[in-house]
Amino acid sequence: MEVMMLLVYDQPGVMQRVMGEFNRKRINVETIVVGKCEIPDRARIVLSIMDREKALNVIEHIRALQEVIECDLVDHSRHEAYALLSSKEGLCRLTGSVQEVEEIISKSQPERYIQAMNAI
Amino acid sequence: MRSVLVMKGARAAVELLEKQNVEVMFGIPGGVLLPFYDELVQSDIRHVLPRHEQCAGHMADGYARVSKKPGVCVATSGPGATNLVTGVATAFMDSSPLIAITGQVATHVLGNDAFQEADSFSLMMPVTKHNFRVVDPKLFPETIKKAFLIATTGRYGPVHVDIPVDIFLAEITDEQMEKEVRVPKPKRNLEGLLDAIKLMENAERPTIMVGGGVTWSRAGPEIMRLAEMLMAPVVTTLMAKGSVPENHPMVLGVCGMHGRQVANYALNNCDVLLAIGTRFSDRVTGKLSEFGAKTKVVHVDIDSSEIGKNVKGRVGLVGDAWTVVNALIAGLQKRKKAPTWRQRIIDLNKECSCDYNLKSEPLKPQKVIYELSKNLPDDAIVTTEVGQNQMWAAHFYKCYGKRMFITSGGLGTMGFGFPAALGAKIARPKSVVVDIAGDGSLQMVSQEFATAVENDIPVVVALLNNGWLGMVKQWQKLFYGSRYKATQFTVPTPNFVKLAEAYGAEAIRVERPSEVAEAIQKAIKSDVPFLIDFVVDPEEDVLPMTPPGKTSADCIMGRCPWKGGVC
Repeated sequence: MEVMMLLVYDQPGVMQRVMGEFNRKRINVETIVVGKCEIPDRARIVLSIMDREKALNVIEHIRALQEVIECDLVDHSRHEAYALLSSKEGLCRLTGSVQEVEEIISKSQPERYIQAMNAI
Repeated sequence: MRSVLVMKGARAAVELLEKQNVEVMFGIPGGVLLPFYDELVQSDIRHVLPRHEQCAGHMADGYARVSKKPGVCVATSGPGATNLVTGVATAFMDSSPLIAITGQVATHVLGNDAFQEADSFSLMMPVTKHNFRVVDPKLFPETIKKAFLIATTGRYGPVHVDIPVDIFLAEITDEQMEKEVRVPKPKRNLEGLLDAIKLMENAERPTIMVGGGVTWSRAGPEIMRLAEMLMAPVVTTLMAKGSVPENHPMVLGVCGMHGRQVANYALNNCDVLLAIGTRFSDRVTGKLSEFGAKTKVVHVDIDSSEIGKNVKGRVGLVGDAWTVVNALIAGLQKRKKAPTWRQRIIDLNKECSCDYNLKSEPLKPQKVIYELSKNLPDDAIVTTEVGQNQMWAAHFYKCYGKRMFITSGGLGTMGFGFPAALGAKIARPKSVVVDIAGDGSLQMVSQEFATAVENDIPVVVALLNNGWLGMVKQWQKLFYGSRYKATQFTVPTPNFVKLAEAYGAEAIRVERPSEVAEAIQKAIKSDVPFLIDFVVDPEEDVLPMTPPGKTSADCIMGRCPWKGGVC
């Protein structure tokens, strides 16, 4: 899994433009986190995609976008998963290794859940 | 205390365009553009009114390709914007600097499906270099300035600005008008320069391939200097036709699917390929895995995202063609020359210059191109439509001196050539401008005869009329067992002479080879738009042709007499 970090202008339309590039290149984004950051009027996007070759292929196209200030692949040593589960017993929040989180989800069979990948 | 001067957004828009030295704009007004057009009444900017927004885009594009300045086109909200999309996408694929302005419904109803509302911001996004939707009048002046900067910084491209009607009515201060803007300069990366020079110095069969980037940066003379130093032949893509003189013995003409065989020969038999300002389109490479498999490639492009996009793992240099070629010239020390290769190429190039002065009847399209090539002045501008007409022109027309060749290479937009010719003529009124057209393409934009006559833009339309969507027919014939479907225009096809005359243009029909030259001479002297309806042989195909996804070994030769061996 590859993790990509972008610094972008914090304004409407930016996500559409960035995701448009992934769409055109037929790249499925596994997880995406967007938020304000240490620089005013800027936002960071951290996203992960499975295929390294595809990541390298799209990165220059992302950098060419006017609203993208930086775009790089981020080094990471391990993957974690984060999940929110909803079942009869109530809500439950999980973090841990990908394997652990997946095991708990399959055992507890929640009515609804969301699982996000996370790289450290 | 200094008083704050204010003006209406519409007035600001006009002044901003004037400050960008916009001389002409191509547009069709509409409800939401009325405040803007009201201010244009008092402006010196020439306004041309096309009969369809798509043609406004193509006209601005043709103007930009000749003047190398951004062309400005304007359309109203909703259908105006959707019609404009094709024009903008055409410019995008060929990296042409365009400023596309669309009106939009007022900000307070945006997103509510107001009358003539379309999400043109989203529609234009994937077909522009960048686009803006102005929602804050304070940012309006800097947005317009940014649009012009972005269109002409680095790799050229169209920029779209969507302007809601209330922005035209809002108050803009002179402080906002004065605000300076900057956009990041494109990064150059010449780290591979020494590797590239080493490769070229040691090449035994060097070949230079130039693309549209060379046309835009006007690096033709420098390319020719480099070619002389290396004894390397120069092959062009469709987009680079005209950037180097095609009457030079080492310039081999257009390569690719319908290219000249000697050009494809050089591409496939060189040991080092210096590719400049080209994105290795599939129409050039054929089967990508075979392209340059045995060749060392140096790839020069202003856009870093092009390096390694199609042809991977080669020496890449990021910079504009003119700068990089000059750096290469300066760096070449040991000028090991390749005289054997040079001589072989010159001999093959002579052989490849076949006689296409075909005198048989029915009239052959090659004969028309032959006579155009012979009879047009040295500063003529040729535009083409898309299809067989385009490929015959690319293959057989000789572009040298100040001649220019303007065509929709990337998007392949039928109906591009005629409006682009009008834009080109406005940019260079003293040059003869000829649109080499097909009857399929011309019928998509024939209403623009009205624009040509009304605005006194005397271009020539050389119509190769075979009554078919010829290129599609050719593919049906070659690859679908001659099962023709929806490619023939059934009789009666329009009488193009009467059509042109109905708009106030002049026109003649030509059916005999002996009448071609005289008709061309008459047309280029005309001071009104002039159509020549060349009734050509519908059985004639564009050959040679390398089938899509194949290599030159599979080339269909037709009447091409090439004997230089498998390319």
